[in-house]
Amino acid sequence: MDVEAAKILGKLIGAGLAMIGAIGAGAGIGIVASGAVQAMGRNPDATGTVQTNMILGIAFAEAVAIYCLVVALLILFVF
Amino acid sequence: MTETPKPKVWGRWVVLAAFVLGIALFTGLKINVAMPEVVLPPEALTTPIQTPLGPFFISGTLVALLFADIIIFLLAFGINSAIKKGNLILTGIVGAVEALLEMLHGMTEGTAGKWTKAIFPWFATITLLVMVANWTELIPGVETIGMIEEKAGSSYVVQMVGGIKSLAKVAEGAGNVTLIPYVRVVSTDLNFTVALALVAVFMVQVFGVRSQGRAYFTKFWNTGGVFSKPIFGVIDFGVGLLEIVSEFSKVLSFAFRLFGNIFAGSVLLFVIGSLVPVFAQSIFYLLEFFVGAIQAFVFGLLAMTFMAQATQGHGGEHHEEAHA
Repeated sequence: MDVEAAKILGKLIGAGLAMIGAIGAGAGIGIVASGAVQAMGRNPDATGTVQTNMILGIAFAEAVAIYCLVVALLILFVF
Repeated sequence: MTETPKPKVWGRWVVLAAFVLGIALFTGLKINVAMPEVVLPPEALTTPIQTPLGPFFISGTLVALLFADIIIFLLAFGINSAIKKGNLILTGIVGAVEALLEMLHGMTEGTAGKWTKAIFPWFATITLLVMVANWTELIPGVETIGMIEEKAGSSYVVQMVGGIKSLAKVAEGAGNVTLIPYVRVVSTDLNFTVALALVAVFMVQVFGVRSQGRAYFTKFWNTGGVFSKPIFGVIDFGVGLLEIVSEFSKVLSFAFRLFGNIFAGSVLLFVIGSLVPVFAQSIFYLLEFFVGAIQAFVFGLLAMTFMAQATQGHGGEHHEEAHA
């Protein structure tokens, strides 16, 4: 295997490995949404506040996955 | 003489015709549908001018930003004239914008309290701009129509489709041209997202200083308790240093969240469009419509929440009363 092919192979494997971090964000978003839906079910009047805080929580959890995505994109298209 | 309005049904025939035409073009002409090249930095449309700050050029993303600005200006004029007419019930697109702003205003009121009037314009501006900018991704031709330029070692060659030059994909390194799009979604340019994030985080500090004065900076440099309460004072000081780091990480997470989502979305549209050129993309257009709206909303909401938090310091209660 020549060096160029090995470089591409390494890039693809590295980008795939980088995206493993999305597991945590997925689980986190699921937990946030489940908690928020339960809260809304118990107390429908608080839907507005719960929704706002849910979106905030999801945004923070999602940020981790976005870092992974950016790292993967950088590996694939920049280096 | 009363006329019952006929339901418009021709729209579906247009869609059906486009659908059939697309299939006919794709299967009949055997067009080689190439996936656009994925490039991270924005491409230069004009030759770069060297300035002391670095090369300056017009990029496709800048065109898209101007485009989004024009749309927002037109919206503003439309809403202004609709309000001046005096109709109490706004309809159509004006009504939609009113509903959106009403929702944002209610949310700001719930979080920011008496600072609503100062914070709401930032929230609304960021959300509207980012939303319109994200939705330019949905216009057909964005990122796929552009200049064809010579580039040795690319993977595209020119093919003629009905008298129009287009690109066809060949093996890696065998091609000689590349495409530079006229319009590229502005959110896929890190310059835009970082600039917006810097503005948002800078305004967070401004609101902190405006509401608490100099006391705002004790959040970052808290030496008040270091000698009186040895252990907890030192912990507070360390927490203050961490707060400085968190301000910088806010910029990063703001910028990369928007960039990552929209860039990934446009790559998704590229891939789906090149795999199944007919119909399949429309499903993902719907997905991108939602992602664009939600990311714009999240960007604005986070900026608003940080601003509201900055106005409420720990020792803020009696301080605010002194001002009121």
